[in-house]
Amino acid sequence: MKNETLLTHFGKGLIQNNPVFVQVLGMCPTLAVTTSAVNGLAMGAATTFVLFFSAAIATLVNVIVPSQVRIPVYAVIIATFVTIADLILKAFFPPLSAALGPYVPLIVVNCMILGRIEAFATRNPFLPSLADALGMGAGFTAALMILGAVRELLGAGEIFGAVILGSAYPPMLIMILPPGAFLVLGILMALFNHLQEKDLPILRKAG
Amino acid sequence: MKKMIIVLTTVAIISGTTLAIAYSAFLPLIQHNQQVALERSLGALFEQGESPEFSEIETEGPTIYRARVEGQVIGYAVRVVTTGYGGEIRLLVGIGPNLERITGMEVVEHVETPGLGGKIDEPSFKEQFEGLQPQQDIAYVKGGDTQAKENSIEAISGATISTDAVVSGINKTLDSALPALTDRAGEGEE
Repeated sequence: MKNETLLTHFGKGLIQNNPVFVQVLGMCPTLAVTTSAVNGLAMGAATTFVLFFSAAIATLVNVIVPSQVRIPVYAVIIATFVTIADLILKAFFPPLSAALGPYVPLIVVNCMILGRIEAFATRNPFLPSLADALGMGAGFTAALMILGAVRELLGAGEIFGAVILGSAYPPMLIMILPPGAFLVLGILMALFNHLQEKDLPILRKAG
Repeated sequence: MKKMIIVLTTVAIISGTTLAIAYSAFLPLIQHNQQVALERSLGALFEQGESPEFSEIETEGPTIYRARVEGQVIGYAVRVVTTGYGGEIRLLVGIGPNLERITGMEVVEHVETPGLGGKIDEPSFKEQFEGLQPQQDIAYVKGGDTQAKENSIEAISGATISTDAVVSGINKTLDSALPALTDRAGEGEE
């Protein structure tokens, strides 16, 4: 029974409360770095790393932090993990670090992270908080990767750098430019909400 | 009140310590990556079978590296920093030992739009610089005929800003780098 609740906490971030398609949080990285599937995946992974460890620490220190200074305390904790994530990317994945550029340090101000800590991690026990953080991170990563894959496919004819559409397809450059981010996000969001309204059994089970 | 100060201070100290440890742990790897990226770009500038050794030359202007193979100077690499469409572009230009021709151009770092300005890092664009005259300003032409202008390359279509940034950055940097090099150009032939 206990595992099932953890699974529920994990699952709601994926579908029912997806941070991008439902909560519309963290729009800056969502729109800016999803020019390719691999960039979306890397940004999602870095954000999940930060969210997971920040939520873990936040639930533990929650009892000793006076509520007046909780925001600065959480901001410092988040900033610490963001800097570590940035250093890890620079040390082990230099090409990805170059592609994501300034958007890795900007994870600090991703409102999804502070939002989940405020709304969930500080009001719930340790394990459900971790499950929630992982679920939200996974939902965010999946959304960014799908967005990146669609834009890469339409804008460059490739997915994860592998040529899919070939030279017969003239790439729609606009898709990997900023306007393409809005177009694809809008269409995906509409599609996602349409599917959710239909109340498909798969979605209900996962949610 | 007192508790607030204690908690904030403690959190800041722990966070600072953690970052100091993480930074010093990853620093060697990060510097190694930057060095590898720079050396890879430097090596690609010259068509020598053996990989040349590079040493920095002290100038007041741009950073210049002297390339040597077995003591013989085979050319110079000039560092160019310019501003493109998305931000700073860092690149390297290779010049022959007598400053007579450009031997290559390599992009070290850029944040241009993938698929458009990002093409400055593609071989088809970079190879155009080989054989151009460093003494004379480089020009670019849109849509084709590079014979139309002397010492010119073809601009990337849809990315004139990036092309212009690269070309004018190289022109400007060479203007100040060449006088500094002219005095030294003969040194290798001793």
